[in-house]
Amino acid sequence: MQASLDLAARGFKVYLVEKSPSIGGRMVQLDKTFPTMDCSICIVAPKMIDCLRSPNIRLLTYSEVQEVSGTAGNFTVKILKKPRFVDEERCTGCGVCAQHCPVEVPNEFDMNLGVRKAIYIPLPQAVPLKYTIDMENCLQCGLCQRVCGAEAIDFDQQPETISLNVGAVIVATGFELFDPATRTEYGYGRFRNVLISLEFERMLSASGPIGGHIMRFSDGRIPRRIAFIQCVGSRSLKGGVSFCSSACCMYATKESILIREHEPECEVYIFYNDLKVFGKGFQDFVARAEDEWGVKYVRSLPGEVIEDHKTGDLTLWYEDTTENVTESLGADLVVLCPALIPRASNKELAGILGLELDEYGFFKSKDPQFAPVDTNVSGVLICGYCQGPKDIPESVAQASAAAARAAETLMMASEGAH
Amino acid sequence: METEPRIVAFLCNWCSYAGADLAGTSRIRYPPNVRPIRVMCSGRVDPAFVIGAFEGGADGVLVSGCHPGDCHYVSGNLKAEKRMKNTARILKLLGLGSERLRLEWVSTSEGTKFAQVVTDFTEELRKMGPSLLKAESEVDAPPDALEVISKALKKTNVQYCLECGKCSGSCPISRVNDAYSPRRTVERFLLGFGGSMLSGADLWTCLTCYTCTERCPSDVRYPEFVRACRRVASEEVMEELCAHRGIPMTLSRIMTHPNIKQERMDWVPAEAEISQKGDLLYFVGCLPYFDVVFEDLTLDLLKIPQSVVRILNRARIKPVVMASEKCCGHDVLWTGDVKNFEKLAKINVGEIEETGASRVVTACPECYRTLKKDYPEVLGKIDFEVLHISELLSELIEKQELKYDAKLLMKIVYQDSCRLGRHMGVYQPPRKVIADIPGVELVEMGRNRENSVCCGVNAWLSCNKYSKAVQIDRLKEAKATGADLLVTACPKCQIHWKCVTSEKLPVNPEEVTMPMRDLSVLVAEAMHLT
Repeated sequence: MQASLDLAARGFKVYLVEKSPSIGGRMVQLDKTFPTMDCSICIVAPKMIDCLRSPNIRLLTYSEVQEVSGTAGNFTVKILKKPRFVDEERCTGCGVCAQHCPVEVPNEFDMNLGVRKAIYIPLPQAVPLKYTIDMENCLQCGLCQRVCGAEAIDFDQQPETISLNVGAVIVATGFELFDPATRTEYGYGRFRNVLISLEFERMLSASGPIGGHIMRFSDGRIPRRIAFIQCVGSRSLKGGVSFCSSACCMYATKESILIREHEPECEVYIFYNDLKVFGKGFQDFVARAEDEWGVKYVRSLPGEVIEDHKTGDLTLWYEDTTENVTESLGADLVVLCPALIPRASNKELAGILGLELDEYGFFKSKDPQFAPVDTNVSGVLICGYCQGPKDIPESVAQASAAAARAAETLMMASEGAH
Repeated sequence: METEPRIVAFLCNWCSYAGADLAGTSRIRYPPNVRPIRVMCSGRVDPAFVIGAFEGGADGVLVSGCHPGDCHYVSGNLKAEKRMKNTARILKLLGLGSERLRLEWVSTSEGTKFAQVVTDFTEELRKMGPSLLKAESEVDAPPDALEVISKALKKTNVQYCLECGKCSGSCPISRVNDAYSPRRTVERFLLGFGGSMLSGADLWTCLTCYTCTERCPSDVRYPEFVRACRRVASEEVMEELCAHRGIPMTLSRIMTHPNIKQERMDWVPAEAEISQKGDLLYFVGCLPYFDVVFEDLTLDLLKIPQSVVRILNRARIKPVVMASEKCCGHDVLWTGDVKNFEKLAKINVGEIEETGASRVVTACPECYRTLKKDYPEVLGKIDFEVLHISELLSELIEKQELKYDAKLLMKIVYQDSCRLGRHMGVYQPPRKVIADIPGVELVEMGRNRENSVCCGVNAWLSCNKYSKAVQIDRLKEAKATGADLLVTACPKCQIHWKCVTSEKLPVNPEEVTMPMRDLSVLVAEAMHLT
């Protein structure tokens, strides 16, 4: 989004291709951002609207890149626009269809904690505010069609292939989450009160499935003690990825402060290996969490989480490596911070674009020091987590960098043409 | 070459030693072949002393105490009688000859009898000829400790340790023993204090259960590191911490002797069909010996090989069973005796190859790991495939070459033993074998598969209150599942659990005692083969 806005501001025409029905990426799932504790959606929603409103940006949501040919300055990109079964031109986003839809399925946007209908927008602030029918779950009962005042429902909509001619391509595919269920010792997927951080973030969010209340899914009780476990799958030479995700220590701190804000009675423990709080203001943020908010940091990665299957209460076994004692801690809720990993689909996209991936599956920079956003293909640029681990401000900065490099390519191409 | 027999005599202080003294003061002549060792009671004579004497080159061992009823400690001599009977069985299994061990009652006044006993025994031993173990054992220079440690630090990834403590948080012993922490052990080695660790107990405390290894984010293989260091760690400390006075290891060492001819096939049921050459070999392991050593536990361990052979026969397989089979070497390897392990590996692989077997099946997870993983490490590639019985059984059931006859209406809980589970990753086959039995409901403990908990002792080391705490905790977990039967594929799990529950328990016995069964025995029962 940042790269699109930068380029649009310079007068370049931008096509913003997004796989899901709405732009916004991961940031819209977050409740707050560190270390400023800004409301995430409050700062990202205006950017989304800017993308929608900009005369120079065309949004191609629910679309995927299929083929790319040509060279810098003159790429031909084939895009598959998947059918929404809703006419984007007609849909007003009123939501009457979803009110009537009888099918409820887990909402991916809420990390499957809440439900959505088979005709849905992923989030209330979706851009574009156009509904989508999830055909896998749709019964084709036709209720939505009947209630839609705009007559936007179109069950016969077909996939559409769009061919574009562009001068430069920017890749910003973000990250996905390491599957913490593979680290069976923590019981994710088996124990109801073991969550992952992004699930917990949705729980904390006022617009989330339970309105920002903190509770245990086993019994709805307000937890009295929550433990975060860092590095689940990250910094692992075995059973995970070897790199640090670079954001977890900070977001766990942020979530801990939020817990203390929401429920001052609830104790919070963060089990970490090394606190990687390297950014501006980060160390102060952690110090504040510890001193002002009473968040307890324990230097240890727990060996195991055990569930009392009658009560759903959890016990963590760990060695406090500063005190040199092995002990257990009871917790009502455990939040795992899984590794943030490059998307598996990067491989396919790399094939389409002719890009190289590094050993982890990130897109490879042309030069990690001096050309971080350039790739082995001239005119194809990368930014954000898909290039390597980073947080939001870094991703935004890199997006601007990629926009600048793209502009360079476009200007050179147009000079060449004259 | 010395041909005179050497006799080690353990004489009780109150009767037989005084009897020997009387023989001396009465100037009664008897052969000078006996080396008397005074013990307070014949009941003090551990089978390990006897077997140790033979390992050290004795041709005969005489144990002598007060006449029954005369014991200074009421019944020590009766205990000795029972122990020596078992010891004689072990000597027979080893092929050393049970006649080389004698138990005689000699009282203070029986100087003549003592002389007579020694004379007779010497004469008999002369007739028998020297013991098979006569050859002097060669003594190698100990390996360089620093070199062994620094090699191990690299090879087992200890150098990548992040000191996150996940190992200690996972270690079942660390949870009950404050003094022990794998992380701190590693830390000391990394800081260069490894030398001081070699004379401590920590290296012998590790259960080598691989829970830490399974979870370590840095892929540190701590149990393998410990194993490597044990090679250069203090043997005295090890011996002090080793249960059963190290008999299993002594037996293994004796089996490396080239002259040994075991008589270990008595367990084979009369109707069973076994062969000397063939495609599938059944590697029995130490069960014939354990049956004697752990007789008190009444586990009927020989039922395991008997069940295996009967099941295989039912599947029309006539397995090769080797009378010359030696200990796989698991326990000597894990107590740091690499030299004898390599010897055993070479002998066993040679013997197996001679039978022409292309598949070797074992019902013991320790044999399984050792043959499959550790043998190729010292010998390079081996020419046969190694299977655990559960793998073979699930294959045979799948192919419908075996089927169950009985219906067992019961709830069964399965224990993943460390070697079969975490070491070798065999989780599913035993479960399939159990769950396929008609009527059986297979239930799981909370901590199962890779999160399973060790039975508390490995390689007979550090059997103490901490291992008992681990065992009781695990048995409670099994019992709490409400299962009728606890099944494991490892004979040693059964030995350790039966042992802990036969003693005075710190908890209500109801909470921890439940029937146990070996996997093969259970299968045989479900096929009406017992």
